[in-house]
Amino acid sequence: MINKYRWWEIVGIYLGIAVFLLFILAPFLEAFLVSLRPLNRINSIPYKIITDGMSFEAYFTMWKNVPRLPLYIWNSFFIATCVTIIVLIAVVPAAWAFARFEFKGRDSILAAFLAINMVGGAVLIIPLFQLMRDLGLLNTYMAMIVPGAAFLIPTAIWLLRSYLMKIPRELEEAAWVDGASRPYILWKVILPIAMPGIVVVAIATFIGAYAQQFLFALTFNSNSDLHPLPVGIYQFFGRQTVVWNEVMAASLVGILPVLIIYIFLQRYIIAGLTAGAVKE
Amino acid sequence: MTVGQLKLDNVKKSYGDVEVIQGVSLDVKHGEFIVFVGPSGCGKSTLLRMIAGLEEITAGDVVIDDKIVNTLPPVKRGIAMVFQSYALYPHMSVYENIAFPLRVEKKSNEEVDEKVRKAAEILHLTPRLNHRPGELSGGQRQRVAIGRAIVREPSVFLFDEPLSNLDAALRATMRVELTKLHHDLDATMIYVTHDQVEAMTMADRIVVLDGGNIAQVGTPLELYHKPDNLFVAGFIGNPKMNFIEVTGKGSDKDGVRVEVPNAGEFTLPVTPHDEDKIAGQKLTLGIRPEHTHLSEGDIALNMTANVVERLGIHTVGYANRDGVDEVFCTVQSGSAPIKAGAPFQLRFNAKDCHLFDADGKVYERKIEFKDLSLPDMN
Repeated sequence: MINKYRWWEIVGIYLGIAVFLLFILAPFLEAFLVSLRPLNRINSIPYKIITDGMSFEAYFTMWKNVPRLPLYIWNSFFIATCVTIIVLIAVVPAAWAFARFEFKGRDSILAAFLAINMVGGAVLIIPLFQLMRDLGLLNTYMAMIVPGAAFLIPTAIWLLRSYLMKIPRELEEAAWVDGASRPYILWKVILPIAMPGIVVVAIATFIGAYAQQFLFALTFNSNSDLHPLPVGIYQFFGRQTVVWNEVMAASLVGILPVLIIYIFLQRYIIAGLTAGAVKE
Repeated sequence: MTVGQLKLDNVKKSYGDVEVIQGVSLDVKHGEFIVFVGPSGCGKSTLLRMIAGLEEITAGDVVIDDKIVNTLPPVKRGIAMVFQSYALYPHMSVYENIAFPLRVEKKSNEEVDEKVRKAAEILHLTPRLNHRPGELSGGQRQRVAIGRAIVREPSVFLFDEPLSNLDAALRATMRVELTKLHHDLDATMIYVTHDQVEAMTMADRIVVLDGGNIAQVGTPLELYHKPDNLFVAGFIGNPKMNFIEVTGKGSDKDGVRVEVPNAGEFTLPVTPHDEDKIAGQKLTLGIRPEHTHLSEGDIALNMTANVVERLGIHTVGYANRDGVDEVFCTVQSGSAPIKAGAPFQLRFNAKDCHLFDADGKVYERKIEFKDLSLPDMN
């Protein structure tokens, strides 16, 4: 048995997992605790987990303090959804082409995609600003959707390509022999089989779009009606004080849509990430 | 125009500098069951895919029903193909899998239904029509794949090792079913396999491929009794033919005289094609394991058995000739008195021998084919 461990190995494994989980989850826990504290109890020295007067009050007052909070949450959701749809429309045929067809420059284009990912949006923000200005897209939803989609497409192609490569070529050949055209094969054969992979890509893109909008919204948009949540939260930053408990409450509520989607589609993600790993 | 005719005219295929098909010519008549057989890498699957239109043809012509189809897409060639991995669409029911080619052609629902049900009837799949491929056994999946080929009513069926994913018992059953299907459909079939039993049992004619060339084309019994060269002789037959190095001594009207080491000089009844060169030449004598005997025979060899396999119906012995490394195989009756580790004498008749020249080309055996062929059943 390859999976047989001694007791101290098991302890070690769980200890390792615990350390990683702590790193990932501690900020969420702290955010949650802060959101419960009254404003004057946020910085307590020495640190206390339970402070006096903890309540869910911030979750109610934040809507009054920043009346447009629902709009910001909606904007975030809307922008991320649009980005995801655009990415999927572009990526599904592209990933298929990269997975299946031999063409000149295929490998260099794929490598270029990786390189672009390494550079990232922050470095390109000034030229992008000029581009957006010239296109007249500043202060529109498009200013946040277009660059968002552009930066997520390369990763999505890599992700979906590796999934599509696991679909046996013979399925396409069989359909081709039977007279099906390429688009017909893509639509009727590849898409249904690749659905788990596509769902994974969609979720990864949605989460990515949700996370990256801050940068684009901050630079390309000054119309406060269009702000997504990460920028909208700035309204809790007053001249004198920052309403930290409400900031944290708003952040947690803002994460909620992603969390809910994630919980519902979790089984697809697990299936998608491991599909084809073993012979079925 | 005759339906179901296929002609390959000096067909070649190269990848860069590597020529994988080196000029293959073949004429297939309507209704023939042709099997391409050969070791892996011999180009049999590539050749089939070239006929199907899945691989480009570098040179030469593929002609189906008197029409050159080199550049036509598969669907316009009048072929249907069954793949080794079945290539069923996992998200569709058996019904939709079989209907797929008809859906592509946008046939009416009534026509689709009629054809699918007819194919399902032939292949005993009717109770399975609403199942998904994942719920079927290997044999049933293969039948669905065949059903998908049948509904297109092609002039030529192409099979790419369709049975190699099945277990031995199922393979035997499917072999019989495919032979029956071929008879019922009266269609031309090209069948690729590496399994010589499939080739021998199903084929009207076998095409033996070796390194991108046709080694021999013939009926199964022609290949068994009169292999053209060492390759075919060694490939067809199980266990495989034994080869002994002999020295040519000359030829006369009775055949070719050879000296068998440690056994003496014998005349083998074969027709020499290069009389003047035989004397002194290194030749290869071939004798099938099933043509060796313990008691009778012109030629006797002394050997020691290494391994004896008792299969009930017969005994397979693997032995070493005195002073020779190569293993010599013999098939005897189930109760043959040979024992591992014990020396024995093995005999065979000169008339059962095959003889090959230094290049591996056969000296044709002086046997009449009508004596060998099966009795006429019609």
